[in-house]
Amino acid sequence: MDEKIPTIKEMKKSRQVPDELKARVKEYGRIKKEILKALETKRGTIPEIAASTGLRQEVVTYTLMTMRKFHEIEVEGLDDMDEYYYYRKAEV
Amino acid sequence: MSQDNEKYDAIVIGGGIAGQESALNLADSDQKVLLVEKDLSFGGKMIHLSKVFPTLDCSACITTPKMSETARHPNITICTYSEFTEIEKLPDGTFTGILTRHPRYVIEKDCTGCQDCEEVCPSVVEDQYQYGMVGRKAAYVPFSIANPRIAAIDIENCILCGACERACPADAIDFTQKTEKTRVNAGSVIVATGFRLFDPAVIRKYGLGKYKNVVTSMQMERQLVPTRPFNNVLRPKDAKVPDNIAYVLCVGSRDLTIGSPVCSQVCCMYSVKQGQLLMGALPMADVTVYYLHVRAFGKGFEEFYQQSRGMGVKYVKGKVGTIEEKENGDLILRYEDIRDGSVKEETHDLVVLSVGMLPNPEAGSLFAGNALELDEFGYVRQVDMLKNPASTSIEGVFVAGTASGPMDIPDSIASSGAAAAEALSYLKRKR
Repeated sequence: MDEKIPTIKEMKKSRQVPDELKARVKEYGRIKKEILKALETKRGTIPEIAASTGLRQEVVTYTLMTMRKFHEIEVEGLDDMDEYYYYRKAEV
Repeated sequence: MSQDNEKYDAIVIGGGIAGQESALNLADSDQKVLLVEKDLSFGGKMIHLSKVFPTLDCSACITTPKMSETARHPNITICTYSEFTEIEKLPDGTFTGILTRHPRYVIEKDCTGCQDCEEVCPSVVEDQYQYGMVGRKAAYVPFSIANPRIAAIDIENCILCGACERACPADAIDFTQKTEKTRVNAGSVIVATGFRLFDPAVIRKYGLGKYKNVVTSMQMERQLVPTRPFNNVLRPKDAKVPDNIAYVLCVGSRDLTIGSPVCSQVCCMYSVKQGQLLMGALPMADVTVYYLHVRAFGKGFEEFYQQSRGMGVKYVKGKVGTIEEKENGDLILRYEDIRDGSVKEETHDLVVLSVGMLPNPEAGSLFAGNALELDEFGYVRQVDMLKNPASTSIEGVFVAGTASGPMDIPDSIASSGAAAAEALSYLKRKR
């Protein structure tokens, strides 16, 4: 069977990726890595992850919930005060 | 532009619940219908709701069978991610216009909706279908119950890495796709372009955007559906389970200061509904609704409102002046207690702004020379509201659903049936 020629090359001829977009993708990757590092050995709530990474809480919430959507993070029950959920890295 | 004209008996513009209802009514009467939807999936706003009032039926359970029926109907052709514009009336009473199909960069017939492209895509942007509470990829299936359930590439946020194309097992990614324009002729047109939601960020005193724990009612609606953005109803700032939630009614409705004097008709009841759903989702939570008037005017609405009071939802007749954030993310509401005229403060840990409906400005620009008349509020003008409520300023063009003004789902469906009946009558007269 003939192998399909990648059409992305055609798009690259007519379109440039803005530097701002490249930076945004890189930043998301960095934040994701920080969160995964914080959850490497133990579970954590979002305030705990924010405290250990130095990231703003809303940034952790947005990124972690996005990672959860893509099955990279799992939920592990509520804390003793029934206020915050614990999250951990998903098992591959 | 394609040289071959496509011909239909009727074109329905807008694939929400109103557009689908009109299209189905016409198609069941043996009329060939083109349903044009500008989004990647049809289904409109209703497909994103949790439950409907006052019955608390599951919204998706009502919408998805209707979507399937629409998609499978032999007399209905659906064009998603498309627009129908530059519409003109011809001397014989029929209509012509330009159908623009935007490229998805995905071959529709080949995509299986497997989401392998989504998995490998490195670019994440705010998910508009979750109202910005989580991200989505640049290569994505819009949402789980989208119809058609096929992927699209958001080229504005694509870094052209080609990972999606390499990952696609069906070879369905095609970056060579271009915008296609076709001339389409039809005997009649139904405008079902729906409404826009008010953006409360313009009322700065409420702090939306600035204070992360101030959310809109659509964001809360998404938190209450099974396909919610978070794992439970949580505060967007720190993911705390809220236990003291406030609703502020009439945000973007009945407010001359922001140029929106019309009552949106649904905000009171969807807030009553969400209050009840929150009592179920978070049994320990307190829910307080700050209102000017509760307009429970429909069948079963007053009972529904009283039911929420019985469940423990607290109602305060008060006008909220400002919202300020405390260090822990809690919010201080300063409001006028209308019963005694005093100014009071109350602290809540999550505030929901019950946003109103606004007219969709696209309706006015569909026709060449903006020929379709709008009313003083910007909705499509109903020229004979009492006798022929679907008739517009152009004979042969009919309006369905919230394109003509705020209304709830049952009224929208009834209005769409009327539009279809009037369109059918017009088609028969002209033949």
